[in-house]
Amino acid sequence: MRLFSGQRAWVLQRVTALILIAGLIWGSALLLFSGPISYAQWKSFFAGGHGATLALLCFAATCLHGWIGVRDVILDYVPQRIPRLALLSLIAVLLLASTIRLGLVIAAQVSR
Amino acid sequence: MRPPVASRPRFLNLFRISYPIGAIASIAHRISGLLLLVSLPALVNGLDYSLQSESNFLTLRTWLASPWATTILAFAAWGLVHHLSAGMRHLLMDAGIGTALLQARRSARAVILLGLLAAVAILLKGLL
Repeated sequence: MRLFSGQRAWVLQRVTALILIAGLIWGSALLLFSGPISYAQWKSFFAGGHGATLALLCFAATCLHGWIGVRDVILDYVPQRIPRLALLSLIAVLLLASTIRLGLVIAAQVSR
Repeated sequence: MRPPVASRPRFLNLFRISYPIGAIASIAHRISGLLLLVSLPALVNGLDYSLQSESNFLTLRTWLASPWATTILAFAAWGLVHHLSAGMRHLLMDAGIGTALLQARRSARAVILLGLLAAVAILLKGLL
């Protein structure tokens, strides 16, 4: 995918937004109406195939959505080439590292 | 690239530019998005911590009820609800719904109010 293309980014931004709308409404309804949850429930959610997949899917959608959004913001407000590249790289590393970390955390739960 | 037109208008005194309600909803959409983005590593960190042991889980839960955490959660709730509702407003506008000026102004006001209400709700729940 071209890093700075317009239309693909526009579509991806909206597709990931729809995934996140569904995920956020579902997740917060679950937390609001289930009352206080126990450690066992919390753990089994992320250890189960469905919970683990949903968590990873929503996080991946968040990272893609956030990358496109922050890229637009940086391109708008940071015109100088070097600060721009530095900021974009910083955000990319932050998102990639967070995704890898989440993958490891969830993998440790599922394999147990 | 074409050279920029020398006589293009420039007016960059941010304190004298007037911000209509839609502009405020829009800049807050960006600010809340940035806020949510930079909180992602902490979120993953917290999840990792909470899953490691039951005592960690309970420590985190106790901490989440503290005044400091409540303040952070109030910002997070504002960011999440504002970003979510402003985004849904954009998606509806992409579909051609609510694009007339009056409706757009009303929905911008509603989006700003929803975000603030979410923050106040968290503050009231946590501090009372």
